[in-house]
Amino acid sequence: MSVSMPQKRYYRQRAHSNPMADHTFEYPVCPEDMDWSQLYPEFFSDHQSTQKAAQVEFADIGCGYGGLLVELSPLFPKQLILGLEIRVKVSDYVQDRVRSLRAAETGSYQNIACLRSNAMKYLPNFFSKGQGLVYTNTDVEEVHLWMVKHFSEHLLFTRVPDAELVDDVIISRLGTCTEEGKKVQRNGGKNYLAVFRRVEDQN
Amino acid sequence: MASLGACGEWLVSTYEKKLIAIHTKKNREPFVFDCSAAEQKPKDPEADNKSDGSEETGSDKILAFSVSSSAKLVALTDDTKRLVLFRCEPSWQVISTRWVVRRCTSLVFTEAEDEVWAADKSGDVYSFSVVEPQKTGELKLGHLSMLLSMTLTPNDKYVVTADRDEKIRVSHLRSPHNIQAFCLGHLEFVSSLLAPPGHPQWLLSGSGDGTMKLWEYESGRRLQSWDLKQLRDMPKSDTEKETRSAVSRIAGSPGGHHVAVQCERVPSVQLFGMEQGTEERLMPSSRLTLPHCPLDLTFDPQGRLWVLLDSRETPFLVYTHTQDSWQCDSESPEMKRVTEALQPHWEALQVSAGLESRFQHLYKGNFDNMASYREKKQQRLQQQKEQGGKKRGPGKGQQSNGASKKAKKGNQPGPVTKASS
Repeated sequence: MSVSMPQKRYYRQRAHSNPMADHTFEYPVCPEDMDWSQLYPEFFSDHQSTQKAAQVEFADIGCGYGGLLVELSPLFPKQLILGLEIRVKVSDYVQDRVRSLRAAETGSYQNIACLRSNAMKYLPNFFSKGQGLVYTNTDVEEVHLWMVKHFSEHLLFTRVPDAELVDDVIISRLGTCTEEGKKVQRNGGKNYLAVFRRVEDQN
Repeated sequence: MASLGACGEWLVSTYEKKLIAIHTKKNREPFVFDCSAAEQKPKDPEADNKSDGSEETGSDKILAFSVSSSAKLVALTDDTKRLVLFRCEPSWQVISTRWVVRRCTSLVFTEAEDEVWAADKSGDVYSFSVVEPQKTGELKLGHLSMLLSMTLTPNDKYVVTADRDEKIRVSHLRSPHNIQAFCLGHLEFVSSLLAPPGHPQWLLSGSGDGTMKLWEYESGRRLQSWDLKQLRDMPKSDTEKETRSAVSRIAGSPGGHHVAVQCERVPSVQLFGMEQGTEERLMPSSRLTLPHCPLDLTFDPQGRLWVLLDSRETPFLVYTHTQDSWQCDSESPEMKRVTEALQPHWEALQVSAGLESRFQHLYKGNFDNMASYREKKQQRLQQQKEQGGKKRGPGKGQQSNGASKKAKKGNQPGPVTKASS
């Protein structure tokens, strides 16, 4: 049975949602209680039980219509990628899109999924402490400068210099595969990129 | 709002706008501090030009107070956003009156007594210098939800903060941006915290979900959990919501052997003791039935449990632990002295505990955006099916009623925020 692709026009929602408002979100009490098998069934099926439990290694905070998830899926087939989106219609669109893609190509897109949640508040409910990289991308210079300022001032993050990012597969796609990215390209806008690495506390 | 605390040989209680400290052993004049007569905020000449009406006057009601480890210092914070620092020796005196940015819910002194930390309703934590008593507060860390309780762990290593979003965060005191762990497990707001004396790795937390949990805070690992309602042998009621009772106070005896727990609107106190055995565990020990719901409770340096009641004749009940049980000491000379000293002040104190809950409004309402959206989506899909399905492709041509409704909806603002809390 084929699952038809969702049409964006039925899922339009304005870009801003108040993250401080008390909407009902589903979130696990703690990361250990999270059942990822619901989102990534192929990775948690019985015959996989002997292998180490897969973990989400990429998180797209504010994934919008899922452009980046779809783009990264084939590049990191063995790693789980999660999109977090706060808007009702938009998160539903991504979930429908993933369902449709998985049905159309067996075995593909099993490693991407979308959750409707308020990342600002509930990230610690889904994920335990980890190391890693933060990729930030925006077409608004002020936002870029604001992000750079706060991450740079934060003692647990250090900026990854551009030279180290030359071969990064994610960078090249960040500005082009999302709805917003494509809009920026159409309007001839500029992409401001900054990547930060989590470091150990110096104390 | 009323609260109780022990400060060396003084018993400190707050009632609405007043703090009153009474000596338990000597007949000394009680110290009374009235927030409504306290220093007013100096008028900011620039602020007069702003007409945004943000200068609402506070009610002067005391929101929190804290006693330092040596019992030499006390700090209080009120609804008018004051932070008042007192010394208790050789006599009670105001050291300074400072101003917080937002109303605070919790205060705690560092063990070193060099700072007093304040947690506010917007989720921020500020530290105020004690050594430089006029210095303004420094922002230390922030939650994304109202902070309800805060405590420090032994040797001032960590600061533990608890919020309305069920979260308990453990951060390094000297580098608060560095989060050590989260203690996750409560299902409702976390209303009280205690780093129990004598157990340096332990943290106790109480919540609107009616449970108390014991944690190894450094790792965030939950060790034990108790449903206080079950301990009260309450039968399961259909009206769960009405009988929800948040934990309003967790107190620990100085020796580390006992813990007393108070739940709002419950006329009893649940006591816990250390279980004998190889592994350290906390066990429910006895339940004290009270004539009315207590206002607050505390242990004094001698390990006696003091319970504050809204009663002129018996404002204090004192319990001592002898053999294996807690006995109410109605002859306690300290209790009698303090009760007598309180009498002349009773009228002016305007004790108004009432049955007002401090915590009822903190329970989150459920505004389920998904349900109504899913219903409409179902309708749309149903209508599309009934019209023989649509051709795949960009949206030109005829649109069904359902589709045009959907397109219109797309132009409206997103999820509606709740009108009432």
